[in-house]
Amino acid sequence: MGSNTAYRMWDGVQVREEQFGLLFYDYRGPKLVFLPSRDLISESFFFGEHTAEELIESLCARFGERSRDEIRRHVQRILDMLLSRGLIYEQPIC
Amino acid sequence: MSNQYVEMGLRAPVNVTWEVTYACNLSCLHCLSDSGRREKEELTTDQCRSVIDSMAANRVFQFSIGGGEPFMREDFLDLMDYAHEKGILTCISTNGTLIDDKVAERLDHKLVYIQVSLDGATPDSNDSIRGTGSFSRAIKAVECLRKRDIAVSINTVLTRISLPQLDALSDLAQSFGAKFRVSRFRPSGRGKANWSRLNVSPSQMVAFSDWLSAHQDVSTGDSFFSVSHEDRRHLGLNMCGACKLTCCISPTGHLYPCAFLQEDEFLAGRLPQETFSLIWNRSRVFQAFRKLEIKSCESCQRFDFCHGGCPAVAYHTQKRLGHPDPGCLANCVSEKTVAASIV
Repeated sequence: MGSNTAYRMWDGVQVREEQFGLLFYDYRGPKLVFLPSRDLISESFFFGEHTAEELIESLCARFGERSRDEIRRHVQRILDMLLSRGLIYEQPIC
Repeated sequence: MSNQYVEMGLRAPVNVTWEVTYACNLSCLHCLSDSGRREKEELTTDQCRSVIDSMAANRVFQFSIGGGEPFMREDFLDLMDYAHEKGILTCISTNGTLIDDKVAERLDHKLVYIQVSLDGATPDSNDSIRGTGSFSRAIKAVECLRKRDIAVSINTVLTRISLPQLDALSDLAQSFGAKFRVSRFRPSGRGKANWSRLNVSPSQMVAFSDWLSAHQDVSTGDSFFSVSHEDRRHLGLNMCGACKLTCCISPTGHLYPCAFLQEDEFLAGRLPQETFSLIWNRSRVFQAFRKLEIKSCESCQRFDFCHGGCPAVAYHTQKRLGHPDPGCLANCVSEKTVAASIV
């Protein structure tokens, strides 16, 4: 999770926002992945325009600086899971 | 599948079954919609485009296209192009008879998945259900599609006739680099009249369940969650997805919980006259269906596997919802045991 790393969905993967969080649909399976992230991450985060650091900053602004470590761990867990399932990939922002 | 999130209610279906026409050039014994002739009230091209717009706006991921025979519509390929422009995956069920090299070329798109129906691995077995000459034409379609490396599965409806053919059908699919898929036979459409003749017996269903366990690569489109063993649990749903993950649009734009429940009492609304999101979220039919509980199944040790099974089979065989699926594994095992004790 580098400071200048953004995340994009692989070709064949789509996502939409749901009450519980994000619903990923992988055409290559096809398979569904339910991400219970509530409103922490919007689907636009996976368009590759914002880094994980920017996401963490915005969440810290919302929930308070004291939660920073917990927020970082949580974001890291989510991204690791999506990466390991082959739904997203990392893309450096230059 | 994460039921807790599905139970919270999705803002739209994941997949919509869309029967685009009643017109069909075959007359299969098990046809779920009794297809044959086109109906006057079928959606026009513009209305179909409006349906696609509506599904795209609601972020529906996939269409499962059926009929009738979808390729009987002259505008069918244009409509599929339009769905792909909107990013919607189209899984097209076809008898294959109208697919040649030219059509295959039009279908060569990353958002296309084709299911070609075959009910036997030989002309004799297949054509006894689907009609004379249908086997060779379907095989030709698979060849045209696979030549272009288009994703194909051979789809078989489980009946007394197709059951002994499953291994050969699986081999046939493999020989084309295609997947093999088995669907459940339901007593709707023409299937009603042929139900007792074609539906597998309880002991055959138990044997099929074991066969599925030994063939993890065979897909079932969530047709058989009510008879699957533990070892297939990770492959899909463990409950009926109607009105939760999916619904069905008829050729005339009428919306139903699923393709097998296109009865007046399950009519939820009509497109494009009504707004899809309102129907999905507010129709009484869909809301009632989501609350459907098969109480008598709750004490069954397999309840977590199937949550009562297929409501459509229960409805068509017992004329009301809320009854257990008579073809579930627990019922089949107990009926098989009773039959064996009588013998």
